[in-house]
Amino acid sequence: MYLDRRMLANIDWRIAGTTLALIGVGILTIWSANLGSPSPPRQTLYLRQALYAALALLGLLTATFINYRTIARFAYVIFGVVLALLILVSVAGEVGRGAQRWIQVGGWTFQPSEFMKLALIVVLARYFEDHKERLGHPRLLVIPAMVALPPMVLILKQPDLGTAVLLGLLTVSVLLLVGLRVKHLVFLTAAGATMAPLLWSFLKDYQRRRVLVFLNPELDPSGAGYHIAQSKIAVGSGEFFGKGLKAASQSQLHFLPASQTDFILAVLAEQWGFIGCLVILLLYYVLITRGLEIAGESKDIFGALLAFGIMAMITVQLVVNVGMVVGIMPVVGIPLPLLSYGGSSLVVTCIGIGLVMSVHLRRFLY
Amino acid sequence: MSRPWFSPTPVIQGRIHRTTLLVTVALLLLLMRFWYLQILEGRYYATLSIHNRLRLRLVEAPRGFILDRSGAVIVENRPSFSVYVTPADIPDVDEAARAIGAVLRQAPEEIAARIRAGQARPAYPVLVAREVSEPTMVAIEERKMNLPGVSVRVQPTRAYLDGDVAAHLLGYVSEVTQEQLYRDEYRDFQSGETVGQTGVERLFDAFVRGINGREEIEVDARGRLVRFLDRLEPQSGFNLVLTLDAKLQHAAEKAFAGKRGAVVAMHPQTGEILAWVSRPSYDPNLFAQRLSRESWEKLITDPAHPLQNRPLQAQYAPGSILKLVVMAAGLDTGALTPGTTFACPGYFTLGAVTFDDWEKGGHGRQDLMQAVAHSCNVYFYQAALKTGIDAIARVAREFGLGQKTGIAAVGDEAAGLVPTPAWKRSVLGESWYPGDTVITGIGQGMILVTPLQIVTMVAAIANGGTLHRPWMVKRVESWGGEVVAAYGPEPVRRVNLSPQVLELLRQGMLGVVEDGTGKAARVRGVQVAGKTGTAQVVRKEARISGQTKDHGWFVAFAPYTDPEIAIVVIAENAGFGGVVAAPVARAVLEAAFGPPRGRETVAQGPGARE
Repeated sequence: MYLDRRMLANIDWRIAGTTLALIGVGILTIWSANLGSPSPPRQTLYLRQALYAALALLGLLTATFINYRTIARFAYVIFGVVLALLILVSVAGEVGRGAQRWIQVGGWTFQPSEFMKLALIVVLARYFEDHKERLGHPRLLVIPAMVALPPMVLILKQPDLGTAVLLGLLTVSVLLLVGLRVKHLVFLTAAGATMAPLLWSFLKDYQRRRVLVFLNPELDPSGAGYHIAQSKIAVGSGEFFGKGLKAASQSQLHFLPASQTDFILAVLAEQWGFIGCLVILLLYYVLITRGLEIAGESKDIFGALLAFGIMAMITVQLVVNVGMVVGIMPVVGIPLPLLSYGGSSLVVTCIGIGLVMSVHLRRFLY
Repeated sequence: MSRPWFSPTPVIQGRIHRTTLLVTVALLLLLMRFWYLQILEGRYYATLSIHNRLRLRLVEAPRGFILDRSGAVIVENRPSFSVYVTPADIPDVDEAARAIGAVLRQAPEEIAARIRAGQARPAYPVLVAREVSEPTMVAIEERKMNLPGVSVRVQPTRAYLDGDVAAHLLGYVSEVTQEQLYRDEYRDFQSGETVGQTGVERLFDAFVRGINGREEIEVDARGRLVRFLDRLEPQSGFNLVLTLDAKLQHAAEKAFAGKRGAVVAMHPQTGEILAWVSRPSYDPNLFAQRLSRESWEKLITDPAHPLQNRPLQAQYAPGSILKLVVMAAGLDTGALTPGTTFACPGYFTLGAVTFDDWEKGGHGRQDLMQAVAHSCNVYFYQAALKTGIDAIARVAREFGLGQKTGIAAVGDEAAGLVPTPAWKRSVLGESWYPGDTVITGIGQGMILVTPLQIVTMVAAIANGGTLHRPWMVKRVESWGGEVVAAYGPEPVRRVNLSPQVLELLRQGMLGVVEDGTGKAARVRGVQVAGKTGTAQVVRKEARISGQTKDHGWFVAFAPYTDPEIAIVVIAENAGFGGVVAAPVARAVLEAAFGPPRGRETVAQGPGARE
């Protein structure tokens, strides 16, 4: 790790500031969402999130001061290790699945699927850097799609449809950046569709059932899903200025499901109203556009793709999650980056942001 | 170093710029949606939030079945009616509780307390009564207008088909308690949900419980169902296939009827539990249907301790069963050989103290095998003295006595006690006297064992020296029969005794049944090896329980070559083990190996079962 004063002076405070602000708002919201909970462990969830945040910031700093070229060098190794962890979970997790609650009594569980998001971005960036002379060549797009498939299958088998879809969208957005044409995209989608039955046949009977049940709320034809309806009521009833921290009845009365994870923005919208939502979206806007700027300024392809991929990850999660909360997208279990309760997601997002800052720091150095 | 890059490529930079534009548009669209919901429609949603008429109710998943090793159903579910109250739909809690209590014939205070406990989540119905009868159902329907917020639903209730049979191994389920809800591990539970509380039901709860579904409904101002919005079907839990053999279990329960104590049968080669009897027992169905306060009080104050899981938790003096340990220790150290003889005039004098034999006139001069077969106390007084307490204690621990078997079970497993001079000095502050060794030689004095330890020890003798951790769940299966998890033998260690010593132990045990104190355990067509024991009830214990009769022990394994069953029987305050316990073991072994009952079979030789 190499550090000098010029690098410190070059830390991007716009990114660091928005990140810290969003994490802080998240902890505050988790605290207030569980104020009226009858269960003492829930009342202290925010403390746990604060602990995760400390861990995440440590990850962010480490990633910032690591030369991202080192990451590039070990890209395939990193991807391999995370993939191995995923396989391990699918093999060992098979036994522990039904007993998850039983084994992880209050403990912290490590989710390799979250880390796979970063690993996939890293490996794609490295691949395209290795083949930078022929970017845009159709054949170059096939191999990355094949690389993304195994982790997607493994994660789908967990079953975690949300993260699997996210990996797909991530891959597509990186491919689009390096020259994927729309007609290629159609071809890939068709190929994916033909793979689906094969995938399905891999799943065990009870897993298929779980996937079906998981898919069910999306397919709800009446659109009257309880989650969506309650979430819309929570958001809408916040009106312009919000109800304040303690008067937010929708969340206080527990009408809202998953109020500290996937639907945390609904709690926030009820408490702080349109003003609050505006501020939150503004914070994300500053974070994402600045990150994309850094991607554009990078002196090498790897740095550009790395920063772009990480910002794509944050953007896709943001849009899907907010879309779900305001009732314009189906319910898939994707957390809101930096705000939702959960250790792995927070740590991974922060490491990602740290890597973007690392790209920024080293845009002049070599 | 290659040519420095000042920009990746202008093309890519252009695309990144366009992405920025795309992000801006996407976030603006989301902001417009917020504007629509919060400003344009804000009033409407604010009104909705005040009169929130959407209700979410839990649809409890049916628990998986519990099957014996051959697939016979032991535990299943049957439908029953439950009454729920939704706190949000109740104008006045006390008034509502009075009205509901009158119909259900329950104390209104208790109902009011339940509703209040649920008020933190007012949209979720609170369970107030289970197992409601048909007439009560009708009464509720008739008075529906005066009972706001009350709903009746059909739910699966746990059904233990054989009542109190194997109750301690199976465990029971009940509603999650208030205390449990306060604990971190029950964070995801809701009040009223069913959870395994002891036994296999608790240990494998995560597998058996399934995944609860939910119903989204819209209600009117009085909390009555207007329409269904959505329903997420529950997924029933996985089935458990036990190692238990229902045939042996029933034989053991039947033969042990009316007695107090424990019977455990184990497969000596694997450590699988085949039968698990703890008497007196209780009916787990009562817990599943919600136990009344009186029934609970009765259970916990019963002097016979029906809730105690005796094989695991009850500690007894091993009596003459310990002679097997003394014999092994003597042979191992060379203090005894099969040819060692001692005279038995019916008593043994050490200094000023006389120790009696149970046979008044004595057994005469005997060698080791005869002494084991006839369970001669005087022989083993002298054998123990000659072997020494340290060797006896070492071999006892070698066989797993004085330590937990490590079985996965709910509730504290008792460790028993193997006394040594060092232990006595540090705990009691007294020296070890030769007399202590003498009575330890016949399993009396301070030594304590659990029935499970003893059957594990017998299994180790039978299988040639492997100590197994007992286990009782073979497989977890989905409804389609797919194996979700499978379990196998867990050898703890090999007993550090020579094969010759173990062989002599087996021969000695064979003599007990063929021609000694254990004749009552003989089964036609199978060679049975066993050992009787009688544990004297010491004065202090007798004063507490008012019972002065001795505890009768019997252990056995069979067939003699290639054993398939190891068994322990202990009958509390019942008398001589050879008389009261051995016939119980015989009944179990007959169920496993013997000729079919009530029908004379012609050729039922030793090999007939193969």
